[in-house]
Amino acid sequence: MQIDIGYRPAHSMAKISLNPGEQILAESGAMVGMSTNVSMTTGMQSKPGGGLLGGLMAGLKRALAGESWFRNTFTANGGPGEVLLAHAMCGDMQVVQVPATGLHLTSSSFIASTPSVNIETKLQGFKGFFSGEGAFVMQANTQDPNSQLIFGAFGGVTELVCDGNLVIDTGHLVAWDSTLTYKIGKSGGGWIASFLSGEGLVCHFQGQGRIWIQSRNPVAYGQYVGGQLPPRKG
Amino acid sequence: MRYDLLEKPDFSMVQVTFDAPGEQMICESAAMVARDSAIEMKTSMQGGMMAALKRKALGGESVLQNTFTASAPGQRLFFAPGPEGDVEAVNMDGYTPIMMQSGAYLGAAPTVTLDTSFGGAKGFFSGAGVFLLKATGTGPLFFASYGGIHPVDVGPAGYICDTGHVVAFTGGLTYNVTRLGGLRGLFASGEGLVCNFTGQGRLWMSTRNSASLVAFLNPFRPVKRSNG
Repeated sequence: MQIDIGYRPAHSMAKISLNPGEQILAESGAMVGMSTNVSMTTGMQSKPGGGLLGGLMAGLKRALAGESWFRNTFTANGGPGEVLLAHAMCGDMQVVQVPATGLHLTSSSFIASTPSVNIETKLQGFKGFFSGEGAFVMQANTQDPNSQLIFGAFGGVTELVCDGNLVIDTGHLVAWDSTLTYKIGKSGGGWIASFLSGEGLVCHFQGQGRIWIQSRNPVAYGQYVGGQLPPRKG
Repeated sequence: MRYDLLEKPDFSMVQVTFDAPGEQMICESAAMVARDSAIEMKTSMQGGMMAALKRKALGGESVLQNTFTASAPGQRLFFAPGPEGDVEAVNMDGYTPIMMQSGAYLGAAPTVTLDTSFGGAKGFFSGAGVFLLKATGTGPLFFASYGGIHPVDVGPAGYICDTGHVVAFTGGLTYNVTRLGGLRGLFASGEGLVCNFTGQGRLWMSTRNSASLVAFLNPFRPVKRSNG
């Protein structure tokens, strides 16, 4: 499998070249175009052995996380094939190899992965509720050293290395190594100061690992442009 | 006449340089960015009022077009589309027509003729316009889209493209609209409808869909309370 990303950074698109029989799992709605020998199946991708109920629960959790209920599997049949995948929003894409220690992603940034990557949507509980990213994050795990995952960002993507401690605004967070521990909290000294700073909630990371951030915050953009649009009927 | 595409792909703009007096370029209204002073602009309805109204109603083109005529050599004209995104140029060969999605047309030499073409009843279901804009003739043609424009040369095997991402294609291609992934895909895949292209030619796709941006922004609009 070969993944090439073009049209960077604002209107990036991934071209996935599949060998015969190879598959890629993509977020619903991401397909722009594909060759005719590629077939698509739609599934809920439960954990192996999870059965129908497991699939339904996985789908429900994803829907709550702001992702779509289903994911699509694209397979090249009888020869090499290609699939073009893009994000809905303006911004860059990144291809990463999923480390054995796993990767966390915010719920709307997942675009595609090789089938050997197991993706679970995790409820973050109370702390996630205020993060602006929903109460869910996704966790990607794999035993396969050649696995790949594509995520999309709003704006540009910057990779930061956390060596000890790092504070990231939740609206700018895209993905991070699962080796890091994190806690959602206020950005300043007190709650009032944090609120007035306009910085809202931040993610306090601790440990060693990589963090990918996006240079624009989708909610801030939505408020900036959406607030200038004519009102809709309530 | 020479042309260059500048600022590709995010904020593409066309620069045309006229070699000789009398050379012309026709653009969508409001597309002009800048021009040298020895270029004359005339606003008209190309092909007469009925033809212009038809193209407006069916092809998403502006009723009024601007014709730029050089009166000296070496004069430059710059023009660009409204949304952020890409512009593609095609040198029309006189044989191969180009079909464009409604609203994709940006400008062309006067030797290029535009007409609307019924996309067939299949267009009704495609999310793409029912009518396509058909360009024939010789000389440069420019079309634009929100997002990047990605070309694919379609061979005997054909190609599949999401209906929301079709920008333009050469006349040698035909398409039919189908659903991907069978019955389950109908409800669940989120992929909606696709165009199955067959034949021989080139297909241009956009890497973004402006409907997705609009759908994202809509919830951020202020809410007007009824009888508040």
